[in-house]
Amino acid sequence: MTDQENNETIGQNAGLGMSGGGKVVPMQNDPTAATRKDTWEEDGFTVVRGNARTAPGCHDNCGILMYIDKDGKLDHVEGDPDDPYNQGRLCLRCLTLPDVVYHKDRQLHPLKRDRADRGKDKWEQITWEEAYEICERELRAVQEKYGPQAIQVFCGTGRDIVGYHPMLANILDTPNQGMGFLSGQGCYVPRMFSTTMKIGNLYTGDYSQNWIDRYDNPNWVRPDYVVIWGNNPVVANSDGTLGHWIVECMKRGTKLITIDPKLTWCAAHSEYWLQVRPGTDSALALAMAHVIVEEDLYDHEFVDCWCYGFEEYQEHIKDWTPTRVAEICDIDEDLIWSAARALGNADGWALQWGVALDHTAEGFYSGASCYDLCALCGQFDKPGGMVCGKPSFGVPVTWIGSDTDWIPTKRNQYEHLHGDYPALRVIGMPSPDATLEALEGKYDYPVKAAWLQTNNCLANMGAQPQRIAKGLMEDDFNVVMDLWMTPTAMAVADVFLPVTTFPERFGLTGHQPYRTGAINKAIDTIGECRSDPQVVVEMGRIFKGADLFPWSDGEHFDEEAFYDYLLRNSGFTWDDLKSRTWAYPEMKYYRYKTGEIRDDGEPGFSTPTGRYEFYSVNLEAMGMRPLAFYEEPPESPISRPDLLEKYPLTLTTGARQWGFFHSEGRQVPHLRAIHPEPEVTIHPADAEKYGIADGDWVIIENQYGSCKQKAKIDIRIKQGVVSADHGWWFPERDREDGFFGTFESNINNCIPMRPGSTGLGCSYKSVLCSIRKA
Amino acid sequence: MANSEYGLLIDYHWCTGCKSCEMACSVEHDIPIGQFGIRVDQFGPWENAPDDWTYFFMPVPTDQCDLCAERTAKGKKPTCVHHCQAACMEYGKIEDLAKKLTDHPKQVLYAL
Ligand code: SF4
Ligand code: SF4
Ligand code: SF4
Repeated sequence: MTDQENNETIGQNAGLGMSGGGKVVPMQNDPTAATRKDTWEEDGFTVVRGNARTAPGCHDNCGILMYIDKDGKLDHVEGDPDDPYNQGRLCLRCLTLPDVVYHKDRQLHPLKRDRADRGKDKWEQITWEEAYEICERELRAVQEKYGPQAIQVFCGTGRDIVGYHPMLANILDTPNQGMGFLSGQGCYVPRMFSTTMKIGNLYTGDYSQNWIDRYDNPNWVRPDYVVIWGNNPVVANSDGTLGHWIVECMKRGTKLITIDPKLTWCAAHSEYWLQVRPGTDSALALAMAHVIVEEDLYDHEFVDCWCYGFEEYQEHIKDWTPTRVAEICDIDEDLIWSAARALGNADGWALQWGVALDHTAEGFYSGASCYDLCALCGQFDKPGGMVCGKPSFGVPVTWIGSDTDWIPTKRNQYEHLHGDYPALRVIGMPSPDATLEALEGKYDYPVKAAWLQTNNCLANMGAQPQRIAKGLMEDDFNVVMDLWMTPTAMAVADVFLPVTTFPERFGLTGHQPYRTGAINKAIDTIGECRSDPQVVVEMGRIFKGADLFPWSDGEHFDEEAFYDYLLRNSGFTWDDLKSRTWAYPEMKYYRYKTGEIRDDGEPGFSTPTGRYEFYSVNLEAMGMRPLAFYEEPPESPISRPDLLEKYPLTLTTGARQWGFFHSEGRQVPHLRAIHPEPEVTIHPADAEKYGIADGDWVIIENQYGSCKQKAKIDIRIKQGVVSADHGWWFPERDREDGFFGTFESNINNCIPMRPGSTGLGCSYKSVLCSIRKA
Repeated sequence: MANSEYGLLIDYHWCTGCKSCEMACSVEHDIPIGQFGIRVDQFGPWENAPDDWTYFFMPVPTDQCDLCAERTAKGKKPTCVHHCQAACMEYGKIEDLAKKLTDHPKQVLYAL
């Protein structure tokens, strides 16, 4: 078997992206659907109802009402009070949407630049035809000279591209598609992959989001506890979870347990707050499991009937005593006992996990160790526990998966750039860390072209960004598609493609499994922008010919026909969806008991044993450790005492900020005013020790590099830990001035491009550093 | 002038400090950056006793608040109330809102 085939087999066993037997899933009763309008007149405005997705980026799809004036201009937006998803609420980013749509800095036309002028402001406006001609010529040249695997198809997060990029990889015949230069594919992939090995599907906390009548649904039960683990949900709105759903649960009696080195609002409103040292989450989960098993608080029925490998697990967690782990995590031992007992005694509880779990080298296992706790307590598929996240109505582009069967491809003939890492070998994703080494000639694999869509890796997630800039500036060809001239585009692009904002396009919602919704076009396209999926499809016409398209003659992109095609197995049409704006699939609990989880219709979970696997048969078969474990981060006060004299503090990065989405939003005056400069949060005791006053510019430094941020002195952060902003660049500065000054305050200068042993997991939240006044 | 019979009830126990009220107000009323129709203040964090924190947010309407006179005249909610992410703000007649104050602690009623 090639790796690709192997991946597909494992993927099928695991039920990844499968719709569940190809049956049409019925909709939930939707009392207002018949009378719901997608457009109407109100006070001199035309109102268009839709979902907020994308660009700009976000992990959510809030219901939005777009108010269009007589001249066809987006005047303002309001949250849609009738939409069950957000029930009227909007965050800062959508409230300021018109400022993005009509921003003077938006790029409205395709651009080209001579390869020799990379990094220089020597752009020339061109037509789409010319842009595509260049892309075709250069990408074909790379394919012919080095093989199609030399093209890297890289996305980032938050735009609706994750479901469409696998199509582009098929179109370009390359096996290399993923989150470019995010070390260790360290966002959701480590958690998702390890837990899918254990249970076969992804499960998310049950905040009633699967029900059209939400908190009033009689089948829904509010969780007794929500365990907020390495996440600040009200700010982050991560992974398709609207954080304030948890506040609604709290109003109904839910209590919180928060695990975070920082005192967030949620932490302060928690029954238990465990202020762990960054990177030690797995150890804590093992100790909590230890308590739950030792005190016999686990769910015997679930463990006996529906789990596999409990004996090995029980043996494994024996040594992970709260006494030992309290020392590892640097917390009070009593807190471990109390929090674990609370979970053991609770009826339903939900895990609200965050990217912090992925952001330690062995982060591949952190998510798995938390899922083990859910399994011990029998929380899967239970009301107020964890609900199964399959793509709603079997439309995979909207969640995890893609719809690629209609695109003939040679990508499977090439080995992907897995860097010899076992998890990446299996999952079929390239290793961004190995990609960088290949660019630098340290790893033998051709990397000659990069297609970067939703990807501002030099300002945002690329670790050691100067290395990445140098590597990409020396390859043969790069394309960047974005709203703005970003630092990444400025440094490396040969062709720049302008993307539409969501009011300018149609589309399907995504990044969540609860429902399917329509992105509804409300205004004419501005300039010559095109949507992300449109460009993917048009590349298909160029590389595979017009007869590729099952839905049309392929001569031009018929947006609505395309989405109609993607909905072909859903039981409804694009027109239906557009006019109703949202559709909720039927929802049931305990589906593992009725054979509605596995594709073969048998009861149980989509794993080789049909059970939740404390001991993962698949992981063992792939040569990885079958049980969740804890390992010290490679650079911590415990693993590297030799570094402590120079770098005495633990550095954690990437805490989300109100108003920004990663590197987006810095050019929107209203948003920038809320958080005008890059900030590093320092405990008062540490600030005093290093002679730093609030508001001082501070140099953060370690063996990888340094950067400059402004000190915010705050007791919310754990003593001995500093928390630094990510994603900073300065759109107001000159483009050629260090690509908008992006390396100046880029905290990733201090983060290694180095995954954990599996190839997944990274070090964004767990390295050492020093601080001093600039 | 706002009709003084009406006010804003804020169940600030649930206020997460998300600033959607501030922003909704600013964009609706074209309030310049640096000025506010409503402003969210932070209290704390400080530790009252071990594991017991004072850390909360308090939205305070300013002189620029007209209780969204134009919107409310059309029967719509004020935009801050409409968009509040914690759904912890309510607009209504002061005498009706006042009755709710005895329900539970950590509420504040603004007569405007
Ligand atoms: S979470 Fe915020 S940015 Fe995302 S869709 Fe909702 S309102 Fe818009
Ligand atoms: S009621 Fe209207 S004017 Fe007053 S604070 Fe709220 S949004 Fe601003
Ligand atoms: S919108 Fe609501 S939750 Fe957000 S800061 Fe204002 S009052 Fe608080």
